[in-house]
Amino acid sequence: MKKIATMLVIAGALSVTLSAKNWVVDQKGKTFIPSKLTVHVGDTITFKNSDPFAHNAYTDDEANEFDVGMQPTGKETHMKINSKESFNVECAIHPNMLLEVTVE
Amino acid sequence: MIIKLGLSALLVSSTLFATSDMSKWIRPNEVPQPKDNKLTKERIELGKLLYFDKRLSANEKVSCATCHHPKRGWTDLVPVSKAVGAGRGPRNSPTVLNTAYLRKLFWDGRAKSLEQQALGPIEADVEMNMPLEELIPKLQKIQGYVKLFNKAYPNEGGINNKTLAKAIASFERTVLSTTAPFDKYAMGDKKAISKKALKGYELFIGKAHCADCHDKFNFTDGSFHNIGLKDGDLQGKDLGRYNLKRRAAWYGVFKTPTLRDITKSGPYFHDGSVKTLTEAATICASGGRYKNGVKNKSTYIVDRHLTQTEISQIVAFMKTLTGPDMKLDIPTKFPQ
Repeated sequence: MKKIATMLVIAGALSVTLSAKNWVVDQKGKTFIPSKLTVHVGDTITFKNSDPFAHNAYTDDEANEFDVGMQPTGKETHMKINSKESFNVECAIHPNMLLEVTVE
Repeated sequence: MIIKLGLSALLVSSTLFATSDMSKWIRPNEVPQPKDNKLTKERIELGKLLYFDKRLSANEKVSCATCHHPKRGWTDLVPVSKAVGAGRGPRNSPTVLNTAYLRKLFWDGRAKSLEQQALGPIEADVEMNMPLEELIPKLQKIQGYVKLFNKAYPNEGGINNKTLAKAIASFERTVLSTTAPFDKYAMGDKKAISKKALKGYELFIGKAHCADCHDKFNFTDGSFHNIGLKDGDLQGKDLGRYNLKRRAAWYGVFKTPTLRDITKSGPYFHDGSVKTLTEAATICASGGRYKNGVKNKSTYIVDRHLTQTEISQIVAFMKTLTGPDMKLDIPTKFPQ
């Protein structure tokens, strides 16, 4: 019985890992594209920068806090969703840019 | 060959201009308003009275309008503002004009709404120096204000921090630019601005890269930059948005101001250190006042290699962004 339970736990963990998805968000025209995402814990978000100038995506959300720093044109950065808390991402240079991330 | 190149360049320039999109310069149909503070006549009128009422300051000699006066481009036309008492604030008084369209208020963007912004200067010791715990009871004793607050904000607890902020924000939300010559041009009146200004516009959106930041209807994209007004690192100087949080990108950065009615609101920049638009344009388009060794200088601030003639054309264009003063009856009598 204990073995079965352990196997189920491992299978569950594997399932979460295998189903983790990478979402791509571009920064173009001083806009996050898309501007809304629904993700799961364990997923990653790749930030691209197609603008001819630098961006700096960040969130001050405590559970998912990240700051990619200056991101020049063409460079990619990644963040992992660690918590089930939904949060917003802004650009530190262009605060009118807003990405709403819903974590399910 | 020279003639051919010249004609070709002219054609390219004309084509670019003829097809350039004017819609982004057109005023949005609606002024942004928060759901819990929609504009009403009562709220605007109440906010206007509060905005001009000097009793909101500790010495009853300073109102919001002292540093943000409609007859002075909604600023005070001095490098840094004189506060209650003998002191002066550390920064240039930013214009209230079109702040309704901004998502971050103050030079460092520390307020996320006009409601958040409105109470800051009242309490600031370098401005009106009036603690809210003293101001609210004071206003509650003025029966005229009690009636006006109850009418403007029924069922919101009368005069309190929230309704005070909401009322002032409501008035500020109505401080809007009027139709300037460039607006007429953008709407199709091709004779509304001079050839010199038109050349300045082409530079503004092209070679000079001004529109990279001074973008859209309000001629600001709300972005924050260190434009190299000070040299080196900023030890002992104003760190701008970095004061809010030690984020590397925020070191010494300040908000891109609107260029609407810009001729009315000098001197310029967060420290009020620049007297003329020519000097301001030259600094931005030549890589900053300090070219090298400026920590976290914006990547936008590089030498665009403009001639003096081109700078003067850009200034001529910026002057077309000034419209007539908005109609406003400045109150002279206040609730008792």
